[in-house]
Amino acid sequence: MENFLLRNIENPNSADINEYLKVGGYKNLTKSLGMKPKDIIEEVKKSGLRGRGGAGFPAAMKWNFATADPKFPKYLLCNADEGEPGTFKDRPILEKNPHLLIEGMVISGYALGSEYGYIYLRGEYPQAKDILNEAIKQAYEKKYLGDDILGKGVKFHLSVYQGAGAYICGEETALIESIEGKKGQPRSKPPFPVNVGAWSMPTIVNNVETLSNVPYIMEIGGDAYSNIGSKDCPGPKLFSVSGYVEKPGVYELPMGISLRDIIYKHAGGIKDSKKLKAVIPGGISTPVLPADGIDCAMDFVSMPKAGSMLGSGAVIVLDESVCMVRVAYRALKFFEHESCGKCVPCREGTDWLRKILERIENGKGSEGDIYLLSDVAGLISGRTFCPLGDGAAGVVTGMIKHFRNEFEEHIKNKKCVVS
Amino acid sequence: MISLTINEKEVTLDKPVTVLEAAKQAGIKIPTLCHHDLLKPWSGCRLCVVEVERMPRLQTACTLMAADGMVIKTESEAISNVRRGILEFLLINHPLDCPYCDKAGECELQDLVNKYGPTVGRYKEEKRKVPESHKDQIIARNTERCVMCTRCVRMCNDVQGASAISIIGRGNHSRMEPFSSESFDCEYCGNCLTVCPVGAILSRLYIHSFRPWQVDKEVGTICSYCGVGCSLVVQVRDDSIKRVIPKLGFGLNKGLLCSRGRFGYEYVNSPDRLKTPLVRKNGKLEESTWSEALSIIADKLTEIKGTSGGSAIAGIASPRCSNEDNYVLQKFMRVTCGSNNIDSLSRTGFAAAQKYFEDLLGQGITANIIDGIKNSEVVLVIGGDPTAVNPILGLSIREAARRGASIIVLGHAKGLEKFKTVQVVPPLFKEAEVLEALLVELFRAKGVRAELPFIDKEMRELSEKAAEKMDLPGFDELMKALLNSASTSIVLGMDLIQRTNGHRSLFGVAGITYLLEARLYLLSERPNEQGLIDAGCVPDMLPGGRPMNIPDFKSKFEAAWNGPIPDDDGLTLFEIIEGIKNRNIKALYVMGENPVFNLPGGPFLKDIFGNLDLLVVQDIFLTETAEIADVVLPALGWAEKSGTYTNLERRIQLQKQAVKTSRGMEDWRILSEISGRMGQKMGYLETDDIMREMAKVSPLYADLTYDEIGKGDCLWPYHGKPLRGEMNEVPPVVDAEKDYKADFYLAPEKLLFHSGTLSRKSPALMKICPEPTLKMSAASAGKLGLKEGDRVQFSTTAGSSEAPVSIDESIKDNRVFLSNNFQGSGVMDLLSFSIDEVTKAFGIEGCEVEIKKHGIKA
Amino acid sequence: MFGETVLKEIDEIRVKYPDRRSALLPSLYIAQREFGWLSQEAMQCVAKALNLSESIVRGTASFYSMFKHKPVGRHLIQLCTNVSCMILGAERLVDFLGNKYGLQPDGTTEDGRLSLVVMECIGACGTAPAMLINTDFYDNLSEKRIEEILEKYK
Ligand SMILES: Cc1cc2nc3c(=O)[nH]c(=O)nc-3n(C[C@H](O)[C@H](O)[C@H](O)COP(=O)(O)O)c2cc1C
Ligand code: SF4
Ligand code: FES
Repeated sequence: MENFLLRNIENPNSADINEYLKVGGYKNLTKSLGMKPKDIIEEVKKSGLRGRGGAGFPAAMKWNFATADPKFPKYLLCNADEGEPGTFKDRPILEKNPHLLIEGMVISGYALGSEYGYIYLRGEYPQAKDILNEAIKQAYEKKYLGDDILGKGVKFHLSVYQGAGAYICGEETALIESIEGKKGQPRSKPPFPVNVGAWSMPTIVNNVETLSNVPYIMEIGGDAYSNIGSKDCPGPKLFSVSGYVEKPGVYELPMGISLRDIIYKHAGGIKDSKKLKAVIPGGISTPVLPADGIDCAMDFVSMPKAGSMLGSGAVIVLDESVCMVRVAYRALKFFEHESCGKCVPCREGTDWLRKILERIENGKGSEGDIYLLSDVAGLISGRTFCPLGDGAAGVVTGMIKHFRNEFEEHIKNKKCVVS
Repeated sequence: MISLTINEKEVTLDKPVTVLEAAKQAGIKIPTLCHHDLLKPWSGCRLCVVEVERMPRLQTACTLMAADGMVIKTESEAISNVRRGILEFLLINHPLDCPYCDKAGECELQDLVNKYGPTVGRYKEEKRKVPESHKDQIIARNTERCVMCTRCVRMCNDVQGASAISIIGRGNHSRMEPFSSESFDCEYCGNCLTVCPVGAILSRLYIHSFRPWQVDKEVGTICSYCGVGCSLVVQVRDDSIKRVIPKLGFGLNKGLLCSRGRFGYEYVNSPDRLKTPLVRKNGKLEESTWSEALSIIADKLTEIKGTSGGSAIAGIASPRCSNEDNYVLQKFMRVTCGSNNIDSLSRTGFAAAQKYFEDLLGQGITANIIDGIKNSEVVLVIGGDPTAVNPILGLSIREAARRGASIIVLGHAKGLEKFKTVQVVPPLFKEAEVLEALLVELFRAKGVRAELPFIDKEMRELSEKAAEKMDLPGFDELMKALLNSASTSIVLGMDLIQRTNGHRSLFGVAGITYLLEARLYLLSERPNEQGLIDAGCVPDMLPGGRPMNIPDFKSKFEAAWNGPIPDDDGLTLFEIIEGIKNRNIKALYVMGENPVFNLPGGPFLKDIFGNLDLLVVQDIFLTETAEIADVVLPALGWAEKSGTYTNLERRIQLQKQAVKTSRGMEDWRILSEISGRMGQKMGYLETDDIMREMAKVSPLYADLTYDEIGKGDCLWPYHGKPLRGEMNEVPPVVDAEKDYKADFYLAPEKLLFHSGTLSRKSPALMKICPEPTLKMSAASAGKLGLKEGDRVQFSTTAGSSEAPVSIDESIKDNRVFLSNNFQGSGVMDLLSFSIDEVTKAFGIEGCEVEIKKHGIKA
Repeated sequence: MFGETVLKEIDEIRVKYPDRRSALLPSLYIAQREFGWLSQEAMQCVAKALNLSESIVRGTASFYSMFKHKPVGRHLIQLCTNVSCMILGAERLVDFLGNKYGLQPDGTTEDGRLSLVVMECIGACGTAPAMLINTDFYDNLSEKRIEEILEKYK
């Protein structure tokens, strides 16, 4: 499969609008502005595009909800918070192919009847901020943005909103709170953002990669797109591969490719020919898979059946040298640090889990601790306000399920088996 | 119609509500911790989970909307497990100091743990430690006990609008902070106390002094401070007030209170309360007995009435006293003393404006429900800061702002700084011109309303005279907002009335009200300003607002009262003062008022009051006026007596006795005793007798009973018959063009934390706001080279004083403000004044003041 | 207090959003740039510029970990230690910074030159371990490489 999302990124000037135009950039916008908005949504519907932010929600369905709401103005927010540890797939688009995202947003904005777009960019990407701002400036100059885009009377304005270091702001309602200048704490749903979102208006939140797929759908048509990769969730997908592989990096591959292929065919296999121990397949919030569990199709539908989730498609590869208790501890330290504090089970539970894991890791664990861990995870699971808490509980449950022996040995031997 | 099943009980709803609310309506209690009826749902504690058929996970009842056909279970093993788990999490960091904690007994966490467990803790690590804060003198904060439900934060932000409390930090590392003295914008409403479910926020006024279950009785009554008249509950133990709390969902304040109402009750128990009657002997006030004191008064009044006639006697009524007290006072003056010289200090604002508007636009024009403000599209605020004068009314304006209304401030209103949409600052003391210009523009746009022709005519004339449109920043925006508004509320403070030509502004406001069919609200500093007017404590009207000069009315009252009423209108407040100066008035009877302190020109008043043959003051403290009286009588205060009060929206409410701490007597009983001694028996045994008489004689109170009033929502026009407007022509405007070129002008300030002579006897309010400050804009301070806290001396032609400077960003002109609440340094003593010909209120504009940094010689 | 140009900068941000409160995060970044960290005074300036209560400003600012609530050194090292970086030695690098420069997490060197904050994932897992120094990005870190890089930050 030819790269589309990462097209041209080997070119050192790929972020420049002229380079983008050279490889056919913005021609999908021109084409789309010649269509009716609802026909664009129809194409997206045919394509079967699902959100790439983690939840895999059908994009066209969300769009239809938003357009059905008569309130105006509507806002299009691009979720560029990319906070899920292990994930760095949006980054090449933001830094090397910003015009693809802009083009995707203008087309989407036109289809949705939205005249204002904001890119919510995580604070940890300062370079991306400068690159995006420059790209937006260029797009304004060339009339791909503004009050009268390409002389077609279409209006769309775009700017970057910089986050400030809070993972939870990747969650769409927390993101909306944050762009309103508040703490990023999730809101209750309903009402859903498509009806009452940013500044109380209908708001569409889509991931960077999702929006960057839109020009491609317009280029090849929804039907052709729907034939790429998995039937239930088609299209190209960016996978960020990190950890103990020979060639870590971002890979654009068809949805549904097997996890084994990602690791061994594309990422060059395990580094230094060591033995694979485990894989976290979709970012830290997704349950770990043991070495023998990697023959699964990486898409939103298949992964839950395999005992994990596709998440953001961030594959973290762990070899035999890694201590799983340590990984669990570090993951819980993350969740505890990032819990927004709104709901009790997540706020108190992640802290408690972290503390139990810390004492096990430090050789101070006692016999009942594994049971306590599972139990506390159970007190969190299914009871939190948003999925962050569930994710934390799932990590612990998954670790104990597949690597119970490592926990037991930590407690028995008062030290780690690995090191 | 929505019907659903909760715990096998059929519930039908007429409007969509949450499952939590639906259950409540069905009498089923679902436990909550983060939810509170005064607040929007938060859904953070997860205790309210319920099982809903066909829904995969448990749902939080506080956010789930009840839908037709839902089948819900609120208790089950699975649900209890969740609740126990949540409580276990909450106890991780909660100190187990229940035996010591003042919340024990009314702690929601304690009650929940009792019900759902857990019985043992499995958490081994250190608890979160946050030292108790001792910085605040009023609010005790114990963050370790906090369960982070954010109720206080949401109360402070979303309801009170002070935004003084935040959760600082994130997740498990966060804590609530700050309050009051560490903080910035705390308004000490204490509404956070109402909502805190645990012992994290407590009032220092009562901690360590009693336990909730040790209350002897709770008395539902109303507040004694301002013209809003909030409902509240007084908790009593050993005949002393332990605590004042609001009653959730009850009264017009629906569970909210302000600083004065919540923390200002301690004056009742003040050691400074008058204990016995005092009589002046050899130039000194000496303790006396009731019988001696009452006889002296009766004899002297009889003598003066005999030698100089009733018109040599005058009375001053009290907006702090009940309808019953005031009714009896005017009857005492009119029938027993034979004088219509009865007025009050409300003449200087509320009563003057009220009369003007009613004369022009009809009785009841100012009787509008406070709650209606929040549904307005535009709220026009003129001449005062509602959030300071009438704080709970102020909250309605803030709520309107949250709902998207335009809040337009003409002049300045500090408490609305963060809520206003437009502010128009009139040139110094030119408010009337601005209002007139506004009226003219509105008239030009809207045209004749043709309901009150004389007003239409006046507006046409004004419009013909006026040339150019006024050029003032914000003016156009203000115009546009008013013209587009389908529902406008106008909130008028007293600053504009207290002008030499106050009535000119009043016409502007009346005209705008008329043109826009707006709701008009008059700010009212005292609890019964409206009531004393309705009770007849005005020189030209009998109870029920019935004009004296209509013989039919008068004869009806004479028959009921068993005695003649003098024919002519009596004297207004300043005419009485003038009469005292000219020695035409020989006796002054003051009930619950402190004119020497509360009126401008105190030293002058003190001086001329020496002319009187008899000055009687009945009060609860030895006020500045009582100090110079011939006879001083101790009265009963708030919470010590019962009676009705009429608030600014003209709602009649019951104030109830809760304690019997002082040795005073009810005001009406004192008067009735004296009247008897003067040969005019009144025959009242209890307040009921007075109310029954009022209901009979006053057309406004027709058929009213305490039972009906006690039920709440006793709203205008009751069963009464309002009168149409009295005037059919607009009083002429006397132009007094003056230039205001001085560097600084002194003006009175209304404080949120104080109210007249009362609040300075409340230790809590004195701690919150211990001394007067001279407030000025940053520009003024800059000009004088002053910074916050610098002490200054300032003087006017009337006198001089000193105070520290406080810089107030909301002041936009070169006026400096001083309050009239502190002994020995009230602003009134420094003001020179004139009288408005029409309203008879005083005008205090243009009082030049010289300000010097302390210690620098002139 | 903020000078004219800063106030103008904030005003320009303000008009980009339907509500003034949206300008809060950008304004806090500006305040941090102007004051080096979010001191009480810095937050007061923001509160004033946006007509927001100080408590709101403080509460909001403290939610986000990239806003600094105490002074930081001339150069701020933000080193990722999340799983992908951890397994490739990020924790050793933290120790190294401690031993070699006397720099502890959340600390500042005595000379005020360097501060260290240990970060959650900064999106460089494929080239872990990684860090930001101020707004400059460095990856594939080793002890030696850190030493070389820090030469540039005096
Ligand atoms: C805790 C949490 C963190 C999330 N972080 C991100 C993120 O960093 N980037 C993202 O695109 N979506 C993230 N999401 C998913 C968003 O809530 C939302 O589903 C997504 O932005 C929708 O866009 P999409 O439909 O294009 O995927 C997160 C969700 C949760 C619950
Ligand atoms: S699960 Fe609760 S505390 Fe955790 S991030 Fe979501 S809302 Fe916040
Ligand atoms: S009351 Fe519903 S979650 Fe707290």
